[in-house]
Order: sequence, then C-alpha cells, then structure tokens
Amino acid sequence: MSVRLNGNIILLEGQCRVEDAEPLLGWLQADRSRVVDLTDAEHLHAAVFQVLMALRPSIKEGGKDAFIREWLIPVLTAAAPSGATQPEG
Amino acid sequence: MDDLLQHFIVEARELVQQATDSLLALERESTIVAHLDSAFRAVHTLKGSVGLFDFAPMALALHAAEDLLGALKGAEARIDNDAIDILLECISQAERWVGAIEQTGQLPRDAGEEGYRLARALRSQLDEGSAQAAPIVPEADVGWINDLLSAGFDRIDLRAHNTGLIAIRYTPRADCFFAGDDPLALLRSVPDLVAVRMGNREPLPLAAEIDPFSCNLRIEALSCAGFDAVKTVFRFVPDQVAIHEVARRDTADPHGDGPHGSPVRDTSAVGATGSRTLRVDATRIDRLADLVGEMVVAKNSLAHLATSSGEGTDRNDLVQGILASQAVIERLVADMHRTVMDVRMMPMRDIFRRFPRAVRDTAGQLGKLIDFAMEGEDVEADKSVVEGLFEPLLHVLRNAIAHGAEPENIRLEAGKPTGTRIVLRARREGDRVIVEVSDDGRGVDPASIRQVALERGVAPRDRIERMSDAEAMELIFVPGFSTASEITDLSGRGVGMDAVRSAVERLGGQVGVQSVLGRGTTIRFSLPLTIVMTKVMAVRVGGETYGIPIDGVLETAFVPASRILPIQEAEAFVLRDRTLPLVRLANLLGILGNADPGRGSKVLIMSVGGERVGVAVDGFAERMDVLMRPMSGILAGTPGVMGTTLLGDGSVLMILDIPELIG
Repeated sequence: MSVRLNGNIILLEGQCRVEDAEPLLGWLQADRSRVVDLTDAEHLHAAVFQVLMALRPSIKEGGKDAFIREWLIPVLTAAAPSGATQPEG
Repeated sequence: MDDLLQHFIVEARELVQQATDSLLALERESTIVAHLDSAFRAVHTLKGSVGLFDFAPMALALHAAEDLLGALKGAEARIDNDAIDILLECISQAERWVGAIEQTGQLPRDAGEEGYRLARALRSQLDEGSAQAAPIVPEADVGWINDLLSAGFDRIDLRAHNTGLIAIRYTPRADCFFAGDDPLALLRSVPDLVAVRMGNREPLPLAAEIDPFSCNLRIEALSCAGFDAVKTVFRFVPDQVAIHEVARRDTADPHGDGPHGSPVRDTSAVGATGSRTLRVDATRIDRLADLVGEMVVAKNSLAHLATSSGEGTDRNDLVQGILASQAVIERLVADMHRTVMDVRMMPMRDIFRRFPRAVRDTAGQLGKLIDFAMEGEDVEADKSVVEGLFEPLLHVLRNAIAHGAEPENIRLEAGKPTGTRIVLRARREGDRVIVEVSDDGRGVDPASIRQVALERGVAPRDRIERMSDAEAMELIFVPGFSTASEITDLSGRGVGMDAVRSAVERLGGQVGVQSVLGRGTTIRFSLPLTIVMTKVMAVRVGGETYGIPIDGVLETAFVPASRILPIQEAEAFVLRDRTLPLVRLANLLGILGNADPGRGSKVLIMSVGGERVGVAVDGFAERMDVLMRPMSGILAGTPGVMGTTLLGDGSVLMILDIPELIG
C-alpha cells in the first residue's frame, strides 16, 4: 500500500496507483481536516490526483519528485478551484 | 481539397469583403448602425465557418473581433480609429490565412502566435473602451490556448527554445482507468512542459458522491518539444487529445522583423492559376438551360428529316429542310457560345472592392491624405481579365499614392485641395475595357524621365533625345527603369512598371501613360473584354503556318528589296518616312524561310513594347477567330508560343508571342 494514515496525516509514498484512490477518498471524506503529505510520493495516479483536486485537503509541500512539485502541487494549492473552462457548444 | 473547404474559401472571401466594406463605411459614418451590424454579422458568420475546421488561431482572433464588434454595438466600447484599425488588421490577416488555406490546406506556422497577438490587441480595445469592468467573455473552444499561453508566459520567455509551442488538451474518457490508462503518467512523459492546467471534465459532484474510479479530468499543457514528440506520447489515446501547434514569433519570422516589417506575401491576390470556382448569376444558367432545350427541339427536327430522307421524300423538300435546320442550329450554337462567354463575365466590382482598403492602408503608412473614388464597378469582362487586373492595378494605385501625391503644403500652394484625388475608373469602349487610374498629383516630368532613362541606360541616348515627350513618358514601362533603390516597402516586392506592363500584356492588353507636370497622371489599361476568343492572323513561314494575335498587328505591307537596308547584322526599312527595324520570323524561329528576299518581303508591322517593328514572313493567310488554349504541361514554358488552337481541318495552329520572340 502506497497510501497510509498516520494520525491526522495521510502519507502518499512511492508510486501511488489507481487502487490508492479509494482509501484516500474514504479518509478525506471522513475528516476533511486531514493533511496530505506528498513528500515521498514518486508518482500520483490520475485517480489519486483527482480525489485531491476534488476535496482540496491541505498539502504538505515539497518533495522528491520534480513533476509532482512543479506541476501537480501548484494545481492543488492554487487559491481558488481553477476548473478548466467548459467547452462552448 | 475537399468540397467543404472549397466552399469555405469562397464564402470566407465574401465575408472578409463584407466585413471590410462595412468597417470602411463605419469609419466614414460612425453613427450608422447598419454598417456595424453588417460587420458584426460578417465576422460572426466567418467565425462560425472557421469553427468547422481545425483553424484554431483564426477562430481565436475572429472571436475576439466579434466580441469587440459586439461591445461596439452595445456601446460598451467606443468606435474610434484604433478600434477600426485593429479590426481591419484582423480581417486582413484572416484574408491572408484564407489564401494560405487555399494553397496549402492549412494555416501557416506562425498563425498561432499571430492569432493570439490579434486576439490580445482586440481584447485590449475592449478593456480600454469600456468604463465598467469588462464582462467575462466566454471563450471559444480555443480560448484555452490563450489562457495557457498567459499561464506559461514567464517560463516560455525563460526557456529560449527555438521550436514552436505545442498546446495539448487531453480529456481522458471517464472509464479510462479501467483500460489501464494513467493520464498523469502520460502527462509526465510529455517532454519540455512549460505550462500545465488541470480542470474537471464535468462539474464536481458532492464530496460524498465522488466516484474515484471515474476519471473526471481535463488536462491542458504547453510543451516546447516538437509536435511529433508530443504526439507520440498520446498515440494510444488519439480520440481523447487535441494537439495544436502554436508557433512563436522568433521562429515564425526568421528575419527578426516585426510583423509589419516582414515581407508579407499577399496570398489573397489571385495567382496565375487562380481559383477554379466560378460564381454565376442564376439567370445566366437559366438562359443556358433554355438554349439547350431549343437545341433538343432542333435535334429532333433533324432526326425527323433523317427518317423522312429514307422514305423517298422529294429531294428539294429535303434540301430545304436541311437548310432550315442548319440555320436554326447555327443560331443556337452562336447563342450558346455567347451565353457561355457571359457566364465567364464578371464585374470589375469583384476586384475593385478590395482597393479602398489597400489605398487606405498605403495612405496611412505613408502619411498621405487621399481622396479615393471608383467608377464603373459594373463594367464586366472575362473572369481571367478581371482577376488578372488586381495585381497591376494595386501596384499602379500604390505608385499614385507614393509618388503621385504631393505633400499637403505643396498642394495648397498650388491651389489644389489637400487630399490627393485618385480615381479608379473602368468603362467599355467597343470590344475593349478601359481601366484607368488618375491622380491630380505632381505629374511626371518628361525631362527627368529622360534623365533617369539615360542614367540607367534603358535606351540609347540618341533615341531618347529624339523621343517626343509622350514617347519619353512611356519609358517608365521599360524594364530596368525602376531600380531597387526605389522599391519601398509599399510599392515594393521588386515590381516595377515593367511588370505591370507585362501583366497587362499577358491579358492581351496595352498600357499607356498620360501626364501633365503639376496636374496629375493617368495610367490607362486597354484590355479585351474576353481573352477566350482571340483574333489571329495566320502567316506562312518555311512551309508552316503560324498564328499571330491580330491585336499587335498594325498593318501589313509589301516591302521591295530596294527599301530594305542592312544595318550591321540587322536590317531596317523605311515606311512612310520612318525607319523601322526588320526582323525575319524564320530567323526568330530558327527555321529556313522559303521566300526569296531578292523579290521583296511581306512584312507585318507590329507594335512591340510601344515600338513599331516589321516582321517579315513568307506569306499571309486568312484571319480567324480562334479559341486559344494556353500551353500546358511540359510545354507550358515554351518561349515565344502563347498557345495553340485546333483548326477546322484538325491541324494544330501554334500562336506566337512575337514580343517574347524578339525580346
């Protein structure tokens, strides 16, 4: 399991896969104040990432992986939900 | 090119024209709502048709133009020159893009950057003009590229990559996780990312109702890797991804010039091949259909005659019947021919309407005040003649603005109105169309023409000195008269008046100039109404028969050997007290003539480049109207041959281009 709960902190570590999305969602739904730590994550599956996008927990920033640091965390920590525009008809 | 795209091109041209006309009218009469409505409708429709194709940058720019026009309509922005300028710029660019699409089927590489720039400029007008906060403008389907570019702007500048940008919009299918896809793994493998935006494909459900296994992402990214490198990443999900090329200015413009400094080829101008689409007034087609109906009746009566001939009808009756039938068919064929020719006729308006904007732009760039007017837009000529006139007329108009129009203070001193009047006029004269560009500017000084002609050696000194002023004026059409130093950005592209002349001569026309110093200049084109039927004179040389267009033949003469004077290598002869050069057609063609020069020569007196020349042939044959076919395929470049025509006996007549053979 690359996702685990440690007190109030959800740790995502190593290669997070599609099956990590469900427990992550469960823990966040149960307590929205939980913090997600991405420091040791090496990759986030899109399913995991979209849970974070939807629920917007506090994120413990920094981390080893440049892609996560550079492109994913800014999306999750952006001030307002930055939904992409819906396509016009 | 597929049909849809072809229709798009025809329609787009019309809409561009409508928008341009309306904007120019709006500039003159900014209070008339109809102009604004018309411009808005044109741009709106054009944007809609662009949306049917993958021309995102064009849609982006037009969308912004539509919004600006919408704001002008709603009085949220002010109609001023800046707004009109940027709208016209956008429309001109759209027109160039249509030209590019017609030629290559796609937008040029720099279109992304240019579309983005135009959209920005248009939207800045919108912000400027509106006092209240600009309304949030719904972005078109391509707005995301715009947003991404602004999101990745710093990074784009930081990385001095020399490649274009690739915009990616990846919308994974909801069930993609079950197929084993990980959209973020794909995104991770896109090389050289410069911007990423994430969103949701569908609005988020309540937190409790989230299905973690249904993908609800929309990923947008910019990369400065190559198009192919990016495409490879998404090769297994082509249905879920849109990849666009967004070229950057430094790549789009290798000379480092700004968009204005770079020599922009006017792709809207009709090239030599031109479009093969012809719009025809429905009544002309109806007329043609009627004629075909009559033709069927005539055929039936002929069939009746054929049957009755086998039944021992009286011979005289039969002859009468055939003669009557032949007369009817002859009339019908003539009518049909005329009607088909009419189908090819188009009014000058179709090209004239593009000139007001060109004149406005040129005048603006040169800071000249021009009072431009057009007459005779309804005059019709063959499609190829009308379309072929665009480039030369544009050049002449630009010349009139650049060289004809004097500075305002000089005009005032001379008692002229401040604005230089330039009139473009078309009229019909017999079976020819006359098109003139007149200005009331500074006029041409024959003395300085002579001076320049001498300096540039376009003709020998003694000839230049013998010329009348009117003849000297014609020197402006001689190759080499206008030099590179005079080629400005405007009259530029290395086209001189000699190119104007050759373009007009290709259409079977002639050019002339009249000018009064201080009073103005008129450049006149005289063109055939149609170049489909050509009157030719057949001549015999060395046992062969050739055709020569009769337009260029002034007269025929028999010149006795005693009147032919050898001058060094060449020959000349005296005709009515003037000495004319004599060339022998056999020599020009490199064949052996049959005629014996000792008994005198049969000579065609022709006008070649404004000069009289005698062309000796073995004999004259008949004159005829022929349907000339231009040389095509591997023969297209044959020098000295204009085209061919089939004669009644099935043989082929080559029609010679004498000026080219001599030149």
